[in-house]
Amino acid sequence: MTGFRLADGGRIDRRTKRNFTFDGKARWGYAGDSLASALLAQGQMLFGRSFKYHRPRGILGAGVEEPNALVTVDRGPGRKTPNLRAPSVALHDGLAATSQNRFPTLKTDLIAVNNMLSAFFPAGFYNKTFMWPRAAWEKVYEPIIRRLAGLGDSPTTRDPDHYDATYAHCETLVVGAGPAGIAAALEAAASGGRVFLIDEQEEIGGGALSDPAQWAWLAEASAKLAAMDNVTVLPRTTAIGHYHQNFVVAAQRLTDHLPVDEAEGPREKLWRIRAGEVVLAMGAIERPLVFEGNDVPGVMLASAAKTFALRYGVAVGRKLVVMALHDSGWHDALALHKAGVNIAAIVDLRREIAPELAEAARDARIACYPGYAVTGVSGGQAVNGVTVALAGVGKGQKLECDAVLMAGGWTPTVHLWSHAKGTLRWDENWGAYVPDKTHENLRCVGACAGDWDFGSGLVRGLLPAPKPLHESKAFVDFQNDVKARDIGLAVQEGFRSIEHIKRYTTNGMATDQGKTSNLNGLQIASGVLHRPVTDIGLTTFRPPYTPQSFGAILGHHKEALFQPLRKTGIDDWADAHGAVYENVAQWRRARYFPQGSEDMDAAVARECRTVRSAVGIFDASTLGKIEVVGPDAAEFLNRMYTNPWKSLEPGRCRYGLLLGEHGFIIDDGVSARLAPDRFHLTTTTGGAARVLNMMEDYLQTEWADLDVWLTSTTEQWSVIAVQGPKARRVIAPLVEGIDLSPEAFPHMAVREGKICGVDTRLFRVSFTGELGFEVNVPAEYGRMVWEAIWAEGEKHGAAAYGTETMHVLRAEKGFIIVGQDTDGTVTPDDAGLGWAVGKKKPDFVGKRSLARPDIVAAGRKQLVGLLTDDPQAVLEEGAQIVADPNQPVPMTMIGHVTSSYHSATMGRSIAMALVAGGRDRMGETLHIPMPGKTISAKVVAPMFYDPEGSRLNG
Amino acid sequence: MLLIHCPYCEEARPEVEFAYGGEAHIARPVDPSTYSDEQWEEFLYIRSNPRGRHHERWRHAHGCGRFFNAVRDTVTDVFETTYKAGEARK
Amino acid sequence: MVEIAEIAVSAAELKLGTEPVQGDGVRLAHAGPKARYSLRARDAKALADVIGRALPGKIGDTEGAIACLGPDEWYALLPAGTEMPRGEGLAVSVVDVSSRALGLVLEGPGALAVLSSGCPLDLAKMGVGRATRTVFETVEIQVWREGEERWHVEVWRSFATWLWHAFVAAMHGAK
Repeated sequence: MTGFRLADGGRIDRRTKRNFTFDGKARWGYAGDSLASALLAQGQMLFGRSFKYHRPRGILGAGVEEPNALVTVDRGPGRKTPNLRAPSVALHDGLAATSQNRFPTLKTDLIAVNNMLSAFFPAGFYNKTFMWPRAAWEKVYEPIIRRLAGLGDSPTTRDPDHYDATYAHCETLVVGAGPAGIAAALEAAASGGRVFLIDEQEEIGGGALSDPAQWAWLAEASAKLAAMDNVTVLPRTTAIGHYHQNFVVAAQRLTDHLPVDEAEGPREKLWRIRAGEVVLAMGAIERPLVFEGNDVPGVMLASAAKTFALRYGVAVGRKLVVMALHDSGWHDALALHKAGVNIAAIVDLRREIAPELAEAARDARIACYPGYAVTGVSGGQAVNGVTVALAGVGKGQKLECDAVLMAGGWTPTVHLWSHAKGTLRWDENWGAYVPDKTHENLRCVGACAGDWDFGSGLVRGLLPAPKPLHESKAFVDFQNDVKARDIGLAVQEGFRSIEHIKRYTTNGMATDQGKTSNLNGLQIASGVLHRPVTDIGLTTFRPPYTPQSFGAILGHHKEALFQPLRKTGIDDWADAHGAVYENVAQWRRARYFPQGSEDMDAAVARECRTVRSAVGIFDASTLGKIEVVGPDAAEFLNRMYTNPWKSLEPGRCRYGLLLGEHGFIIDDGVSARLAPDRFHLTTTTGGAARVLNMMEDYLQTEWADLDVWLTSTTEQWSVIAVQGPKARRVIAPLVEGIDLSPEAFPHMAVREGKICGVDTRLFRVSFTGELGFEVNVPAEYGRMVWEAIWAEGEKHGAAAYGTETMHVLRAEKGFIIVGQDTDGTVTPDDAGLGWAVGKKKPDFVGKRSLARPDIVAAGRKQLVGLLTDDPQAVLEEGAQIVADPNQPVPMTMIGHVTSSYHSATMGRSIAMALVAGGRDRMGETLHIPMPGKTISAKVVAPMFYDPEGSRLNG
Repeated sequence: MLLIHCPYCEEARPEVEFAYGGEAHIARPVDPSTYSDEQWEEFLYIRSNPRGRHHERWRHAHGCGRFFNAVRDTVTDVFETTYKAGEARK
Repeated sequence: MVEIAEIAVSAAELKLGTEPVQGDGVRLAHAGPKARYSLRARDAKALADVIGRALPGKIGDTEGAIACLGPDEWYALLPAGTEMPRGEGLAVSVVDVSSRALGLVLEGPGALAVLSSGCPLDLAKMGVGRATRTVFETVEIQVWREGEERWHVEVWRSFATWLWHAFVAAMHGAK
């Protein structure tokens, strides 16, 4: 034996050395080692410091249940992963791992002073101690707690890795590739259906990897599975959660087991698997025992010691004592003995031991202490002995050893079963909850089903001890530093439900999800409360089963692919002409087109002046469009919109106001009747999908008798608004087949014809108050037609303008933007749009609500204009308005500013606001308190420019 | 992610293709003007919110586009049945 | 203070690919210009009479490049320039949506995996000649299985750039 490496055995490749570092020091192991086994082989017992008390901690388990040995693995800039479990980290050349939560070093942790003061850190400590003063929380307590407590540090640089993601479908998904899982997969595969077998470990085999007698079978079964076309075997893949109807999300680690320079392609892949049947074969996790000193490095699970010896060829100590409550501890001790590990003694609280086990131990010359319990562990950073006592209370007897193995029985791994809302049943034999019923097509096999014959044991988490509970330092939850006495304290303070005890003590929380602590916590609470375990309840297991990188969850959805960015067909032109953009829903829209050194204000002022004095061109393609077709089209629109539609002549347009059934404005837009049975609707950019869905709802579920159909045509058309006194002159040379004269083509009319040789639906509409046209052409021609209009426009001094200018121009005219000047509580009357409500119509969506008492009550907020006393002061949108600026705080707020701009046309600022009883306040001065000053403004009608509408005619 | 059986497509499809549509069988009155304020409030805002069997509307928005009704258990999320709009309450 | 580097590639910089992209066992290309019609009617026969073409009867079926998408909805994907009567005054709706969508074609033994990277349907079970509306992650698409290894994907024009690059990412293992 070199160091702690056994002379032979294990699945490691002793011809292939792997060099790595731990806390900066050079170490080595073999191919096939885990980080934990390689370090143990070199005698490393101390792996980390505990979460709260900074107590020295070693290895507890050999798999994902490990709560203590959390390490950070650094694979270069942006590739630092904290909180990895050392037993689950595959060793490779160049692996750089560091321990966590210690300052400055693992051996000398100054913060371990916490440990000495631990009497002051009981359960509920955070809740009790840091209640007040409130200000101290942010400045004093939180920074200190963050320093003291915690896991590894988050990476601070961008993750350069790529992550893959996919959906997958199969008839059978088997989670866990131990003997039971492999058998289930083989059986399912024989029927020919698609089978997925996934397992979190480096290779499939599960418990069989720690049992050389099964290796031949394992090799054969693996080969058989690999040869089947309908079977997909995914090792290094963790099922992180089970969701409705057998939707299992699993993360496959693709490159972390490889040296950095050999890692190519995505780092992880997220599998979103829909399975006909899910078979859970997740095994069971051995339970630790709760006794004084059970967290000293060197105290670990018996099954872990067996795995280290038989799978990795590593002895976890030179002289081991086994503390067993269960036959499996004896079996493991004997297996370890056979593998060449020196077992000094087996201590078992049970007085009666199965004769064949006792005999085998005697043959192996292992000292046996039936009826005894470990009552103390000596050693600080490593075990150097234990005290055992008859029934835990007799005279103590010291046994020399350098490792202690705990065999407290087994807990079936029911996490995914619980995610699936499967119920659990208490099993006395196991001393654990086992799966019971589920409404999913889901079943458990093997140990996680409670179906595993490994002998019998005593169900008891807390060992009897000479000290009273409140003085003991026996740990239940190693990761969260919860002691048995904390649970006692929680009960003493009145907590009865395990859900409350969990939150008060933090038992079973965080990344660990109670893998080793849950059942012991229940047993202790049960003991203190003198009530059976089943009366205390069980906490809920939540996904993820083990911590999961955000990268895999994002998959391809990062950076440029984070979400779609919709661009119009004219966007490239805007880009080439220096547009500054803003995002509207998923679209990006040109906001303004700065020239030279112009800022936004200067550019917008120029664009506004150009539209009012000459002509401006605007990309309105993002407007929602719906084609409404069918004999009942007019009847349908009449029912949907507030205003009458049946009388609208083909070729004419109408402003439509759409309410919800609650009577509030939810959308608006100008729509055209192209033919008796065909309308071209427009909606707001952001409302397109919502409006279509709402209309479909009424059509399908309320008025299914109407013969009318809706088709989204938003993306069919590019829309170019040409606005300004010279608009007609700009488009005239390009249009064919449409008489543009004011007589033949009045305001609010639509014509079909050609522009630049392309089919167009030409609207004469205006959102600026100027003579205006909106040119609709099939989307692929948008850019070409835009450029042609632009070329004509340039002859007339045209400017391209963006959404900001559009906003200013419409505000000058008092036109609302739904969602800006309305907020879901604004009725047509509130918005000053009472004229758009058909008084004679018997019904339309929202009509009945307009007669509700609150809607007709006086004093509602109404849309008004505001002119600041200082014409250069531009109010902030969203600013609150008060009537009396001198009233004490909190002031009575009577409204807020909805739209506010500097208007180049008016040479001053303008604003719109929703103000209580606003229309009765015309001429009043109101006040807008802002930091350091109060701005006063006069209430006016929300119409600042050309109230007669004379400019519409150019 | 739920699998929802669309009664029009006659197959179970992934939840992401669907949009939830609130409680089912709340018909808009033929003539809302005949409703009292209390009746109208009931129609607009009052919902049953049961624990257990819930009649609700879904739309196969990214599939066939149809609204339909479903009975879902609000505790287990299990769909008992789905049926076409206009069919009697199940 | 944690500093996160600037995003390397912004969504605004993505451009719709013009040339086909060849991956491992899969090729992504544009389907080219098409005439597209959204066809609606309560009575399929009345609609068939108006357009002078047969209509598939069952949701998900296709016939003569017309797919049945819903109980009263069909979608025609025809050679560019194909005209269709509108059936004025009749209880049908014929709307030209030729410019609304772009068609992308994934072809090859690896095409199914690329499409499955973001489409939650069990596409392996979708028969040749079937078509359906569905989603690719958050984006609505139509999937037409035109051959054992040939998939035509319809996507609204403004989502095509994102979809193109999402396909390329899946083709290249997220590179």
